Amino acid sequence: MIKIALPVVASALVLSACGSDDKKDDSKGSSSAPGGGGGDKPTYTIGFQAGLSGENSALGLNEKKGAELAVEQANASGALPFTLKFTTSDDEASETKSVAAAQKLIDDKNVVVVVGPAFSGPTQAASPNYAKAKLATLSPSATRVSLTDPKNNFTAFLRGTPNDSAQGGGMAMYFSQKLHLKNVMIVNDKTPYGEGLAAVAKDGLTKAGVQVQSESAPQKTPDYTSLATKVKNSGADGLIYAGYYDDAAPFAKKLKEAGVTIPMISGDGTKDDKFVDNAKDAAENWLLTCPCMDASKEAKTAKFVTDYKAKYKEDPGAYSAESYDLANFAIEQMKTFSDPKSITREALLGKLKAATYTGLTKTFKFDQNGEYVGEDIFLYTVKGGKIEYTGNIKELSKS
Amino acid sequence: MSTITRPEADERDMVVMDLAKLRRVPWYRQPRWTRLFGMVLAAALLALATGPNASTDDIFFSVNESMTDGVRLPVCIALMVAFWAFFEFVPKAPVERAKATARANTVDMPAWQNTKKAFDKTPVKLGALAVVVVVLAVLPLFISTRWNQVLVGNVAVYVLLAIGLNVVVGWAGLLDLGFIAFFAIGAYSTAFWTGSLPTKPPVELNPFLAMPIAVVTCLIAGVLLGAPTLRLRGDYLAIVTLGFHEIVYLIANNANGFSGGSGGATNIPHPSVHLGFLDYEWELDPKPYWWLIMGMAAVVVFLFIRLEHSRVGRAWTAIREDEIAAAANGVNTVKYKLMAFAIGASTSGLAGGVYASKTGFISPESFKLMFSVLVLAYVIFGGMGSIWGVMVGTALLAWLPEYLKDWVDENDRITYLGALLVIMMIYRPQGLIPSRRRKRELTLAKEGIGDADAMTEPAGGRIA
Amino acid sequence: MTVQEFWDYLIPGIALGALYAVIAIGYTMVYGVLQLINFAHSEVFMVGGFAVLMVFTKIDFNDPSVGMSVLLVLLGFATAGFAGAGTAFALEKVAYRPLRKRNAPRLAFLISAIGASFLLSNLAGKLFGRNNHSLTIPFENKKVFTVMNAQVTVLQVLIVCSAVIMMIGLDLLVNRTKMGAGIRAVAQDAETAGLMGVDIDKVISRTFIVGGLLGGIAGFLFAMNSSVGYTMGFFPGITAFAAAVVGGIGNVRGAMLGGLLLGLVESFSSPLFGEEWRYVSAFVVLILVLMFRPTGILGERLGRTA
Repeated sequence: MIKIALPVVASALVLSACGSDDKKDDSKGSSSAPGGGGGDKPTYTIGFQAGLSGENSALGLNEKKGAELAVEQANASGALPFTLKFTTSDDEASETKSVAAAQKLIDDKNVVVVVGPAFSGPTQAASPNYAKAKLATLSPSATRVSLTDPKNNFTAFLRGTPNDSAQGGGMAMYFSQKLHLKNVMIVNDKTPYGEGLAAVAKDGLTKAGVQVQSESAPQKTPDYTSLATKVKNSGADGLIYAGYYDDAAPFAKKLKEAGVTIPMISGDGTKDDKFVDNAKDAAENWLLTCPCMDASKEAKTAKFVTDYKAKYKEDPGAYSAESYDLANFAIEQMKTFSDPKSITREALLGKLKAATYTGLTKTFKFDQNGEYVGEDIFLYTVKGGKIEYTGNIKELSKS
Repeated sequence: MSTITRPEADERDMVVMDLAKLRRVPWYRQPRWTRLFGMVLAAALLALATGPNASTDDIFFSVNESMTDGVRLPVCIALMVAFWAFFEFVPKAPVERAKATARANTVDMPAWQNTKKAFDKTPVKLGALAVVVVVLAVLPLFISTRWNQVLVGNVAVYVLLAIGLNVVVGWAGLLDLGFIAFFAIGAYSTAFWTGSLPTKPPVELNPFLAMPIAVVTCLIAGVLLGAPTLRLRGDYLAIVTLGFHEIVYLIANNANGFSGGSGGATNIPHPSVHLGFLDYEWELDPKPYWWLIMGMAAVVVFLFIRLEHSRVGRAWTAIREDEIAAAANGVNTVKYKLMAFAIGASTSGLAGGVYASKTGFISPESFKLMFSVLVLAYVIFGGMGSIWGVMVGTALLAWLPEYLKDWVDENDRITYLGALLVIMMIYRPQGLIPSRRRKRELTLAKEGIGDADAMTEPAGGRIA
Repeated sequence: MTVQEFWDYLIPGIALGALYAVIAIGYTMVYGVLQLINFAHSEVFMVGGFAVLMVFTKIDFNDPSVGMSVLLVLLGFATAGFAGAGTAFALEKVAYRPLRKRNAPRLAFLISAIGASFLLSNLAGKLFGRNNHSLTIPFENKKVFTVMNAQVTVLQVLIVCSAVIMMIGLDLLVNRTKMGAGIRAVAQDAETAGLMGVDIDKVISRTFIVGGLLGGIAGFLFAMNSSVGYTMGFFPGITAFAAAVVGGIGNVRGAMLGGLLLGLVESFSSPLFGEEWRYVSAFVVLILVLMFRPTGILGERLGRTA
């Protein structure tokens, strides 16, 4: 059995390796200087870095598809004074692999801008190298507050999303000023994202005189029953879950089973249709905050969703649209160069830092540290199995 | 050893058994046809593995597409059946095959063994070593920065770790599934002494001064873990070390006040030397780190080789092969086991220190359980007990996934890596470059003379 | 902790413990006959979850009646058990048997199992996506009764009852049947058993099948309680392995006891130390138990699996 099985498996591996590398041609033949492509049009590459394999790859894959779609559409539009290529670098959502993954893009002289990295940890590890190479990184989802700390000197890091403090502050504001809650339980998922969000929310609530109880439930907790019981027994009149939808869904189910009916709120990591799909009716009445505007009715967004679906056979996931926006932002800025052959990393970085761009999800603008400008947080509510837009959290809290 | 004239007992028995079975089982249970069935299943799996990626909207999408696109499955099945047919019908009958094996075994020493003999002469060996060292030293100058980063951040650090783990697993025969815990302790103590954690140290030190402290911390941690648990036998020790890893990881992740929680420690300074005449700072460029780690590894390897052939090394071998016999002969097993644990742990601590000050940023995510499992796989893949094998194996297995990134869909990379591990273990369970002693132990165990240590002994008894 | 809280956490603890016990049996049985850690057992567990997910998605039921619910649950058990058993059987054929035929050292088995585990979990990730999926529970998971004011849900009753039934069945299988005698014989001394006419290969294959059956069903139960994802097996697998060791590896009753103990420890660690210290408490208990009883609570009783 084995004597045959093995050569077969081995050759199968070779075979499949050949079969699946059709898309990996992008960075080849890029030894020439930037813009040195053949013909009259120069060729540039938009890099993308995120975790595309391993445990936490769901988010990275969503973002990759968004950015890839943007590049493809830009090329297909025919209006570009240059040809665009798209290349990815997989950091496995791990900071140990992030530096090498970043270096792959830095070494490729054709890469003029990078969308990513997706997570705060890999961003933290890779940013010094990007800064040294003056290669702009537009991150759709790295929200750790300290990334834009000037002391880090991450001069090429541009955050394409409000950081944790904006959302956490929004949640705190809504709970304290609108719902007048007195005792809030905050549960974080022990990821940098969740912890950052929870810390800010706690801060905001404490300042508003609300009593706060903190809990942490790491991702992939096998059984949320005990935590749900704890929430029920805590006497809290409000719950903040700071984490992603993969864990928010089972947690929501267990909360419902435990009979918890207090207002529950979560952030953009949970604002995904998958949350409602997975939690089913347990998701009902959950409040979700997101720095993204409700654009589902606009024609542009509808087109994005259709195109995305046509290409990837699935609906856009969390951060797909943000990543699409950021790639388009970069392409827009590349178009503003009077001479398409003169685009360099440094010049593009300078332009991006100064520019403003309105995409599908929000308006992008950065301060001098690369921080996203704009603190508007929008509130959504799960109603009848759909995530419905409720309004700007600041305005809602005023009333 | 090399001139056994009979076919191996197992194989002969199997042939006899196969023939006996052929006489009485119905056709569909004959090995030939069950093999065909297996091949078809393997073809289905292959079709799935090479098919399109999943869609989040429809869980059947990927399965349906790869099964029904009309080309993939038939091609895979045809391929597998062709292989099956080739191996079933083209070679000779089982008896002929047994004869061929027997003949192959009577052949005198093959030519390569003569080459090997020549290689064993010391001057040749030293010359080869010198060439290897020179090649390694100039290697970073010829590869791109990206591969330099891989070389330092992924390969070199793990080679250092694997050398340490080799002492524990390969020499002392203690199965350690939580080795990265010491790596974490080393990295975090370096971060602590350089003042990068929320808790501030009494004095902030240069990473070069923090590293020895990290090594000593790991040494102590190794002894602390080892002392109560070393009386446990093989697999119990494995789960305890695994538990220890999880505890260290979760403390790093949960004790926000001390370790910075899941955010980790940022802005750990790069190492630098200020000694009046020598003033150098390591920065972002990976090359100097390579030379630094190479220097460290060279010292460690030199010391370990000396150790292997010393009284200590022999004590380890004795413990590994038969702990009770070793103890009866006056070897202080607890002392030597603790020593192996502590030495392994401190090497790991050194790697942790270098890693922390190279990246400038650590968080619990760098020290997940998976890395402990991986580094053990590296050691066994390379050939445990053989320091050269371990280094080569680790370098290869740490480099390969990075290399595959350029060629294989990211969704499939780890699948292939898994398949590689299985195939490697089937064909070469002793590892790439096994140590000579280990090879002998395995042969002895295979022939039923002495069952070596708990880790060498074949599982499930010998096949009757 | 109040008395009320004690009961509140006791019940989920028992349910989780029952799950761990069922998974732990898979580890312990394989350890019994082969003396090796079947690292890929966690993937058997995952396959069980995915198999039911596929079947349930295909059926696409909505608010089933009571009779229908019972049928669906039984179908779930059958699917998960079959998928788990099949996976375990294939694993043994591909990742273990060739090594056994070559008398490979035991660590090689460990690495081969790790490789198989990588392969299976990543293949599942590729085929079904990297997000978690939710398995629709084929009944309304409402409160059935309360114990000291602590509510017990249908799912918890189902988990505990099916675990108990499976464990009793297994105990009978191992101790009262011819097949069980074979398993015990191989566990005690494979070589001698072989000489006495036991077909070792067959026994090992069957052991994997039985372990895989239980693992697959545990995957189904776990999936109803939480969600299905390609890495869902990892942590339950490790905890269950720890449970098997705590109870005394190779000892089926030990695995049950160990699973229950760790389930309770995890559940109670939530109110006592905080949810994030769940695994720390479990592993501290493991280390403490092994320090005082180096072969587990009930002791390692290879061969006498009872």
